[in-house]
Amino acid sequence: MWSRTFAGLIVGLLLSISIVINLNLLLPLKEDTVLLIGVLIAFPLWAGIQVWSYSFVSAKKAWLKLSLVLVPSVLINAVLLAVR
Amino acid sequence: MNRDSLKALTNAHAWVGLIISTILFIIFFAGSLSLFREDIIAWERDPHFMASEQGDNFSIDSIISQVSKKYNINTHGRFTLSLPTAEQPLASLYFEEKSFEGKSFEEKNVEETSAEEEYTNKHLIISPEGKILGDGSVFTWGNFLYQLHYDLHIPEVGLYFVGIVTLFFFVALLSGVVIHWRKIATKFFQYRKDGKKDKLLDAHNLIGVMGLPFHIMYAFSGLVFNLLIVYQISYAVALYGGDQTKFFESAGVVDIHLDETNVRIPVTGIDTLLAKAKGSVGEVDFNRVSIDHFGDKSASVTFRGSDKSQFSTRKEASYHIASGRELYLTKNNYDNDLRGGLAVISSLHFGDFAGYSLRILFFILGIGTCYIILTGNLMWITKKSNLRVEKQNLAGLQIVYAMTTGGFIGTIFAAAVGFICARIIPIDYVGRSDFIAYLFFSCLFTAIAVALAIKSQKQFAEIFLKMTAVALAVTPVIDWLLVSTGIIAMLKLGHYNVIVVEVMLLSLALFCWLIAAQLFVNEPVEINEQESETVISTQAIHS
Repeated sequence: MWSRTFAGLIVGLLLSISIVINLNLLLPLKEDTVLLIGVLIAFPLWAGIQVWSYSFVSAKKAWLKLSLVLVPSVLINAVLLAVR
Repeated sequence: MNRDSLKALTNAHAWVGLIISTILFIIFFAGSLSLFREDIIAWERDPHFMASEQGDNFSIDSIISQVSKKYNINTHGRFTLSLPTAEQPLASLYFEEKSFEGKSFEEKNVEETSAEEEYTNKHLIISPEGKILGDGSVFTWGNFLYQLHYDLHIPEVGLYFVGIVTLFFFVALLSGVVIHWRKIATKFFQYRKDGKKDKLLDAHNLIGVMGLPFHIMYAFSGLVFNLLIVYQISYAVALYGGDQTKFFESAGVVDIHLDETNVRIPVTGIDTLLAKAKGSVGEVDFNRVSIDHFGDKSASVTFRGSDKSQFSTRKEASYHIASGRELYLTKNNYDNDLRGGLAVISSLHFGDFAGYSLRILFFILGIGTCYIILTGNLMWITKKSNLRVEKQNLAGLQIVYAMTTGGFIGTIFAAAVGFICARIIPIDYVGRSDFIAYLFFSCLFTAIAVALAIKSQKQFAEIFLKMTAVALAVTPVIDWLLVSTGIIAMLKLGHYNVIVVEVMLLSLALFCWLIAAQLFVNEPVEINEQESETVISTQAIHS
């Protein structure tokens, strides 16, 4: 249980930051508006990913699946930040 | 969702709930009381000072003049005055006093310029006519409970610790919804009170589902208060290249800082600036005045208040004191979406936008959440107790039971003792606030220690809850025995804070008594294993 907890806690945090930054860079809205959208969705995302992590039967599977979502999101971060 | 995932999630729901239960109970219990923080502060303080009608001649300049003569105010420290209002007739002044090796301004020999500077936080209570009535720092019980709610009085890391617990509360909520989803509509009102089966589960689900929007709002807003810094840092680094100033500008934070000149001038003309601010921002009840760089030529004053004509709108006006130059004026609080959004989140959390009715509703829901946490733990305990002896982990069971009886009831009992002490300890007793704080934690930890040592937990819980109910009910009696004159004076002026607190305490006392009579009677609680969705793995707590 602890391993799945840390998977959700660490990958969940990184993934929520990554997704929110992607949204911030992609949404054609005012700066303060996208910052607010980020605040509104970041925590539910983090908690949701933690719940997802607990739904896996094994910790290994949780780390793997969560990382498989994190990697492309981080790559999109890198591309968007580079072309900004 | 497949069966294995649902089972894993159900185990996680029970495990997470159990791990965070005691801390979450303290957070929710203290938070529910804190909805009436202003009433608790007035309940403790005002009966000692309430003697006159609200004055019309309250002058900030006159107060500053009195205080400046008596105290050596630290230029670099805060200087904040909360103004008297219709609801709260006494003003409070907070500032830092510069002293020298423990000596106050009056005691210090002017020749001893080499003495090391020390700073002491001061809190003075001011009458509606502008007279200094006494030291406000001895009345801290309301703020003690509030701080317990947001950081458990753990220095430095308490805020983040509470944030992490709140995150797992959010996780427990979401996982609970997923687990209960199939029956969320069909069993919406199910409560099998008479069947004695699944009573705990039904209460857990019923309050959980009915209060779900409230719980989600509290989990989310609590996270924003305690852990927003995590996202702040990541935004500032990733999107603003580490430039915090630029980030804060986008977030609507207004920096009106003026560089200090080290030229001393007296602080005057604040009443005139307040009148100017009132004329500039429209219908705003200014209730807070703060001065930066007090006594320096660069000093500025900021007036803050809420615009009652709009939802969750706070307005500010800042001026350079020496020149009267306007530094900042909030004409529309929604000029920045993030700032406006955070203000709305804050209003929702504090329930400060619809008077007592909303706070009473939030209080009931908050205490309801405490009941959800209690039933969650009791379900786990019942399940484990019903296992065959060879499968039981007796030490684990005892610890969970002790944290539930000692921790949960201990928190309420410690709060009841705090209320009694806040009333009976004389206001001139040195170290009054610290004594009450130490007593609170002593009661809590002693209750946990006793619960760990006791075998008959149900009997202990029943007796302890009844003792707590009596302790809660005693406070209103002591109130009327000790400070009835002050309370009557408050009532004559239309201030009902004492009554609000007394009703709250009596409601809690009744609640505790009912729980003792209903939940902890000495008979085994049965759980219908077929219908119960809470299939808790034997190893869940240890994995």
